[in-house]
Formats: sequence, structure tokens, C-alpha cells
Amino acid sequence: MSRIKELALEVIYSVIPITLVIFIIQLLLKFSLTDLIQFLLGTFFVCLGLLLFFLGTKIGIVPIGEMIGDHLPKTGKIRLILFIGFLLGFAITVAEPDVQILATQVDLVSGGNVTKLVLISAVGIGVAIFISLSLYKLIKNIHIKYFLIASYTIVFLLAIFSPPDFIPIAMDSGGVTTGPITVPFIVALGVGVAGAFGGRRSSFGFVGLASVGPILAVMLLGVILGR
Amino acid sequence: MIISFFSGFDQILIEVALALAPIFIIVCFYQWFVFHMESEDFLNIIKGFILTFLGIAIFLQGVYAGFMPIGQKMGTILGASPINWVLIPIGFLLGFVAILAEPAVHVMNEQVEKVSGGYIPQKILLYSVSLGVAFSVALAMARILYGIPLAYILIPGYLLAFFMMRYTDETFISIAFDSGGVSTGPMTVSFILAMAIGVATAIEGRDPVQEGFGLISLVALAPVLTVLTLGFIYDKLYKNTQNDENEQSEGY
Repeated sequence: MSRIKELALEVIYSVIPITLVIFIIQLLLKFSLTDLIQFLLGTFFVCLGLLLFFLGTKIGIVPIGEMIGDHLPKTGKIRLILFIGFLLGFAITVAEPDVQILATQVDLVSGGNVTKLVLISAVGIGVAIFISLSLYKLIKNIHIKYFLIASYTIVFLLAIFSPPDFIPIAMDSGGVTTGPITVPFIVALGVGVAGAFGGRRSSFGFVGLASVGPILAVMLLGVILGR
Repeated sequence: MIISFFSGFDQILIEVALALAPIFIIVCFYQWFVFHMESEDFLNIIKGFILTFLGIAIFLQGVYAGFMPIGQKMGTILGASPINWVLIPIGFLLGFVAILAEPAVHVMNEQVEKVSGGYIPQKILLYSVSLGVAFSVALAMARILYGIPLAYILIPGYLLAFFMMRYTDETFISIAFDSGGVSTGPMTVSFILAMAIGVATAIEGRDPVQEGFGLISLVALAPVLTVLTLGFIYDKLYKNTQNDENEQSEGY
């Protein structure tokens, strides 16, 4: 019970300050009562949803990430580890609510030019490839800066060939990938695999690298669709 | 009004079920072929999945029916007003409070405090990341108001980050890029982005796709630069004083 109370407080603390500011702005702009109620009802749903969701992630999602992360290095087959990392990266990203929200907004604003399904799939594949790469980096102990510089250089090169509509969406996809479901899962997975090296290697950088994947994938989508 | 608030919930339930299906299939596969957990433990995992499913569905309903339309409306009203420059300070304020309260940011702060051996206290990091993000949201609003291309901000920003990477050690580089992703939480993505799209729709000559989106990438860049700067300061000041002390005590 105390854990639920703690989580509830965490959710309330994280939502209240910003909703208060928004509420005051609404009053200043003389929003109608219906709008105010709609917003407050939305806030209540967001709080309740986040609470259930955080609870579920702690009970169901994170332990799975830890168990698989713990089990993977024991197989001793690099190709298998990279393949499972790919599958997990895809599966966890398509479940990410932040990705769903961005995809919904893109679908709406672009008038259906970039549909939800296409964007979510591209983002998922982007993360999948980069989770594999992160695992490879961890196993081979390669410095993260080589991956970061190489991938952001490709991002900016692709941006030249990508239609202008895709660039902001691609850059934003990188940010939303790492939301409340992906981060604990990826970190648990990384910690598990890093643990096989007896604490000599850290799992830091997994989340950062996972955010580049979708940028590249969506840019590439733009280059292909833009032709 | 209450009825219209719930419209589309059945659609959301289907979408969330589909979104969770792949990871659930992998879990079942692992349970049957690898883990063979006790049925009680496996039941707990299933309970976690059910809670996650309901939680995401309810959260998304709140976002789609409450946050997104109101955010967009607010952006449209402010963007069309003659004093639309107020969006810059409003963006600053929203960015600041959104990040100050983000649970994931607190987790990252604990990590940095641990890695720097307590040299970079959580409070300092929290306020510098919050200020960084506040500045980013303000910049994103200015970008929409004055039609600045995203690349003009992102390319120098990342070049600066790469330049600073030369002077920072690997752990800090990793944490810096991790925190970039972490800072873009559900509040930024749902409300602030919807507002930005509203602003871009309201202003003549702005394209909602090209100018509305891009905000999240700016929010993600701020903590990268902040943490790299703190890592750089830590490296220069703390390690140098530590070396001096070592030299004195070991007497080389």
C-alpha cells in the first residue's frame, strides 16, 4: 500500500505544477467553463492513468527487462543477444505512450500524409537497430563518442536529402522514444547485460543511443517517401 | 460534454492492446521456453501488464480529450493575439515547471550525483536542467513566431555538444545523452507540443508541420549541453584539485 501512496504522490507532484500554470493562463485568457472542466477532467485521467501505468510497469515490465537482461549474456552467443535486443527494442517502443501521442499528432497535422502506423513502425525499427548497436558497443567496449558522432553526422547528411516536412518530425521522434515505459525497460536490460562483465562496464548511454535510431529511421522514411 | 469526453475510448483500447501485444508475446515465449517461472510469479507479471494496459488507455484518453484540444486552443488564441510575444515567457515558465517535476529527471540526477562522487549535487543539476529546458521551450516558441529553421539551432547545438565531448569523460557523455531523451516526458509531448502546433496554425505563413514540430528535439538538446557543461566543470575543477592533493600527499 505504501508503494502505491508513494507513486500517487510522485504522479501528483509531477502533474500539479504545470497544470496549475496552465489553469491560471486559461483563467487569464477567459476560457469558457466547459473548457476548464474538460481540462480538469483530462488532468484527472492523466493522473489516474499514469499511476496505474507506473504501477504496472514496476510489477510487470521492469522485472521482465531485468530477467531477460540477466539471461541474455549467459547464452554466450553475440548474434543471439543482438537479435533479441532488436526484437525487444521494437516491441517496447511500439508500446510507448509518448510515441503514440506524437504519432497521433503527426497523423492529424499532416492530414494523414504520415499515418500513425507508418511512423510508429519506423520509430520502432530505429530503436530496435540502435538497441542492438548499444549491446554490441557494450560487449566490445567501444567508446560511445564514435557512435554518437557517426550517427548524428548521418542524421545531418540525411536532412539535406529529406523533404522539409520530415525533419522536425524525425528530430522529435528521437525525444519521444525514450518515455516512461522504454527507459526503465532499456535500463534494466542494459544493467543486466553489463552485470555479466562484473561491474566493469556501465549501461549508461543506452537511452541516449536509442534516441538516435528513430531520427535516422524517420529521415530515411522521408527520403524514400519524398521521391 | 461528459459523453463527448469519452468518445473514441473503444478505439484507444484496441490501439493500446495492439501496442502491448508484441512485448507480451515475447514475454510468453520466454516464460514457456526459458524462464518457467512459478505460476504465482507469472501471474504477477500478467497483473502488471493489465495495469499497464489500463493505465496507458486512461492516460491517453485524458491526453486526447483534455490536454491536446485545450493545448491547441490555447496556442491558437495566443498565437493570433497582437501580443503573441508573451508566448516566449509563457514557454519559459511551462518548460521550467514541466521538467522540475518530471520523475525521470530525478532518477537521472541521482545517477549524476553518484558518478561524480557527490561533487555535482542533485539540486544544482535539477535547476540547471530545468533552466536549460525552459530556455529551449522559449526558443521553440520564438522559432515559431519568427520562422527560424530548426537546423539553424540544432546543428550549432550538436556541434557544440561534440566539441565539449572532447573534454568530458565517457560516463558524463553517456549520461548527458541519456538525459536528453529522459527529459521529454508525457507533459511536454502532450500539452506543450499541442500548444506549439496551435501557435503555428494561428500565425500567417507558418506551416504547422514544419514549425509546430521540432519543439521536442530542442527540449532534448538542452540537458545534453547542461550535463556536458557540468561534467566539464567537474573534470576541470574537481579532478585538478584532487590531483594537486595527491601530488602533495604522495610527494612527487
